[in-house]
Amino acid sequence: MSAARRNPLVPWLGIAALAAWPLVEPYLPAWMHLGEPLTEVFVYAILGLGLNILTGFTGLLNLGVAAFAAIGAYTYSIATCEIYPFQLGFWPGLAVTAAAGALAGFLLGAPTLRVRGDYLAIVTLGFGEIVKDVLVNLDTITKGTQGINPVPPPSLLGTALEARGQYWLLLAFVVATFAGARALERSRVGRAWISIREDELASRAMGIRPDHAKMLAFAACASLAALSGALLVSRLSSSGEPSNYGFELSIVALCIIIVGGIGSVRGTLLGAVVMVGMNSIVLVRLSEALNSSGADAVQAGEPPAGIGAVWHFLRTWVQNVFLSPTNWKFLLFGLALILMMIFRPQGILPPLAVHEDPPEDEPGAPGAGQGARP
Amino acid sequence: MLRAVAAAEQLAILALARADGVPSFAADGTLSTWEVLSQQLVTGLSNGMIIALIAIGYTMVYGIVELINFAHGDLCMLGAFFALTAVGALGMDAWGGAGGTLGLVALLAATAVFCGSLNWTVNRLAYRPLRKASKLSLLVAAIGASFVLVNLGLFWGGMPMEVFSGGNSAAAPKAFPALVEPKPAFTVGDVIVSRPDVLVLCVTLPLMAGLTWLVRFTKLGKAMRAVAQNPTAAALMGIDVERVIGASFFIGGSLGGFAAVVYSIYNQTVGFQMGYRMGMDAFIAAVLGGIGNLPGAVLGGLLIGLVRAMSDGYIEARWTNSVVFGILILILVFRPSGLLGAKLREKV
Amino acid sequence: MAMIRPMIRPIAAVTSALACLTLALAAAPAPQDGAKTLKVFSSLPRTGSANSQTTSIVNGIKMAIEERGGQVDGWTIAYEDLDDASPQKGNWDQNLEAANANKAAKDPACVGYIGTYNSGAAKIAMPILNKAGVVMVSPGNTYPGLTKPGAGEPNEPKIYRPSGKVSYFRVVPTDDIQGAVACEFCVQDLKAKKAFVLHDRELYGKGIADVFKKSAAASGLEVAGFEGVDPKASNYRSLVTKIRSTGADVVFYGGTTQNNAAQILKDLRSGGCKAPFVSPDGTFEKAYIEAAGKDAMSPEAGPVFITFGGLPSEKLTGLGAEFVKKYQAKHGEIPEAYAVYGYEACRVLLDAIDRADAKDRAAILAAVAATKDFRGALGTWSFDENGDTTHRTMSVNTVKDGEFSFVKAVDSGAGKAK
Repeated sequence: MSAARRNPLVPWLGIAALAAWPLVEPYLPAWMHLGEPLTEVFVYAILGLGLNILTGFTGLLNLGVAAFAAIGAYTYSIATCEIYPFQLGFWPGLAVTAAAGALAGFLLGAPTLRVRGDYLAIVTLGFGEIVKDVLVNLDTITKGTQGINPVPPPSLLGTALEARGQYWLLLAFVVATFAGARALERSRVGRAWISIREDELASRAMGIRPDHAKMLAFAACASLAALSGALLVSRLSSSGEPSNYGFELSIVALCIIIVGGIGSVRGTLLGAVVMVGMNSIVLVRLSEALNSSGADAVQAGEPPAGIGAVWHFLRTWVQNVFLSPTNWKFLLFGLALILMMIFRPQGILPPLAVHEDPPEDEPGAPGAGQGARP
Repeated sequence: MLRAVAAAEQLAILALARADGVPSFAADGTLSTWEVLSQQLVTGLSNGMIIALIAIGYTMVYGIVELINFAHGDLCMLGAFFALTAVGALGMDAWGGAGGTLGLVALLAATAVFCGSLNWTVNRLAYRPLRKASKLSLLVAAIGASFVLVNLGLFWGGMPMEVFSGGNSAAAPKAFPALVEPKPAFTVGDVIVSRPDVLVLCVTLPLMAGLTWLVRFTKLGKAMRAVAQNPTAAALMGIDVERVIGASFFIGGSLGGFAAVVYSIYNQTVGFQMGYRMGMDAFIAAVLGGIGNLPGAVLGGLLIGLVRAMSDGYIEARWTNSVVFGILILILVFRPSGLLGAKLREKV
Repeated sequence: MAMIRPMIRPIAAVTSALACLTLALAAAPAPQDGAKTLKVFSSLPRTGSANSQTTSIVNGIKMAIEERGGQVDGWTIAYEDLDDASPQKGNWDQNLEAANANKAAKDPACVGYIGTYNSGAAKIAMPILNKAGVVMVSPGNTYPGLTKPGAGEPNEPKIYRPSGKVSYFRVVPTDDIQGAVACEFCVQDLKAKKAFVLHDRELYGKGIADVFKKSAAASGLEVAGFEGVDPKASNYRSLVTKIRSTGADVVFYGGTTQNNAAQILKDLRSGGCKAPFVSPDGTFEKAYIEAAGKDAMSPEAGPVFITFGGLPSEKLTGLGAEFVKKYQAKHGEIPEAYAVYGYEACRVLLDAIDRADAKDRAAILAAVAATKDFRGALGTWSFDENGDTTHRTMSVNTVKDGEFSFVKAVDSGAGKAK
């Protein structure tokens, strides 16, 4: 039913265009060099796809997905870094990371099965904060805020990949995750997830075991998030500080799936492009462009009296804060989110209805079904 | 070896530090175990009452529109900026005696109205168009509103006023003048109950009593309870649901305004990023008590305040956040709807 | 088709929005790709509360370039001010720092990178730039492990130099010197017997607190408590009660203004503890005084000291004093403490570009490494074989009438730092 199925060429064209990008890039002007931010988009896309399984498919709101990314980042770092005895290398490291992520998902999922709705969101939020704090405080193992250095870069067949190779590898990961998520969505367990989201009681009546399916969703989400954490770390060759995996990252991941269209696999990809693109490409370029025409500070002097004082006050104020585009980042970000929710709450690419009815013009896409109030 | 190069003037500073300093520095070493515990209780109660006041704002809004209002902490932050601007513009830190007290009351009232109106406006512009949308959309809009308010705080901080120190340090935290001096109101042994501690109680207790009266015994309160229970039925009974929602945003926001003033006086700091922590503590408190439940929010606030104080004092400050969140998770796992919360409807 | 249409609209909307943006960005001033242009980048946290400090660093860098008329040896110097902080964090962000470093590494005209401000960010940027052979000069990193073997982790600083060459230099003395100076000051000048040490759990703050603790053990100062705090807490009253109960007669905080140093000081004073409060250079900025307010900084409340890896702006002599005068004339205020380090970092880089015979990365890197007896704003100094400055003058400062006031200079001597 999707456009992609109608035009089987579209996704392949997209992949081909992305794959060709690093070959074209050197011939483009400097401001169009997007390879670097794009790899970031890829990592976030994997994180988003993971979260989409739990929050999008299964309808369990998770505000602590960064914790899984942190667990992945640190597992990978400890498994591969030369200062620890394991030194597994890239691919075995990734395998261990994915397994550790799944385990963490189980560990969080099992006790919280009875916790519902917003309360579950709070539990995941708390879990995220605890993981971050524990990583900082257990500095004998995790090196605390030092971060773990150096983490080996991605490699293929024994050779470390350079920037272009990393780009292609990450692209391959995104394509594989995307295909996997699509397959999962249509599989038996995927349909069970979606039915739990729509109505847990009814799906139980249909013979689905919600606890079982929810645990699987937790594990799948955590495993993918851990993978994204590991990829992020290997790209930076350092685990960075634990504070990099805080509430902010969870919120960015959540915004990715919501902006893209919650429950929609294609939407998640687009959400990653929009969110990360806004943050790492558009705003950065904008401030660079504005910076080069920035104004200098005012000369100090006696402030004038009367109406001149008001003018002087406003002028100084404008020069203090309003002229620097970096000071506008929050505002643009926030306004974009609000406007998006008002004018297209189902996201840019909402999931297509699984079945033929309800008719398309009804706003009752699966996302809207969740707790919408009469 | 260190080679010290010091001029006479600077040595004088050192001498000063030494002369009237050294004897008094170590004088506090005599706190008994009980005195330490009592002091921690005082701290925990004061912090807890402030958290409770903010938590009420979360819980009221949640009870009525089922929205975790992420922007609430940042709303309080703007309230603190409003108060700081008023104090700076009127030179209130120099007012003493009765004028000072009256001024403080006026400041509390003005900030409450400011925050209430702002919260009402945010609801009108950002949340109301989403009344029929999914809960998640509403949540994202709240996150967006929080970003916008934080940025407004940054702009506000760049105001060329003396209290803001002007310059290009818009982002730096600002000192809030000690309108109520942090001096002991009375001491029991070596336990200090400071004047700000007393202020916290004097402001929060009447507000909580007033709110209870409002919700229990007024027509508006009745309407609020009705809308919280079932908005459709309430609308059918002739209640103007949007008006009631607007009113609860206003009331929740104005309580946040009171909290902002008390917080600023107690901590003497205002910064554009303080909303996150203010909001997070209060939000946990609201959930702990059972979100949507007013007495629960107060109970949760007090508990969070006390747990924080005890953990700082007896465990280690760096573990405090984990302790707070750990307790939260345990309570939710074993009592999934919070301490005083009603059973949650089977809807996600 | 009917099924596709609802999807085409959003796609079309997004693509057209992107297209508009692309056009808008294309219209932005394009860099002049003149043949004889060399590019210098700086990467500092410009968003967030370090903004005031980094603005004055950037001003310092710009002044150094302007002084040479934007030209060195016939080559035009282009400068770009990169931001490594994101609004979500309000602090430096590892992704942005990596992006900045990669951008510099890829730009063929780039011959120098001034940064970073935070030591943690340097860890990310250093290996990237080292591989690309871009020389990096930091105005603010003080974590010892970045340059000194044996001072940090066992594999530091080797891991930051994948090419095997030293390509990172810094114009500030490191924390292993500063922490020791702070401790000596507490013991010798304040006659302290018992210290309570706090830190913000970050690379810089915990690092310097660790050094303080170690020096305290060596000089007989008892450490009554050593604790990491939550840098975002709204207040620290309960911690103050704990400090009071130990009877500590000096409190050291390893942390920055951004990590609530002023709040700790305020709570200490309103909690009834008058012990001297000592903090390192991460608090040596006006934002600290502004955040703490008059009352907490008044002499009656209790003494406050700040150590700094250099001399404060008004005590600079020679070129440094000239810089401060010029800065004041241009920007209407005394620069923040690190401005002169931005200025010095840029000057030493420009000087190396001038000396290099070929204007490429390798030659300029070699020229920076060969810097000897550089007559700069901080005095006359050289880079040692690790990339550290030989300049080792420290100062202890206090606050008087809402301004930093110099207390004493400490020359820790070349032999002191091992």
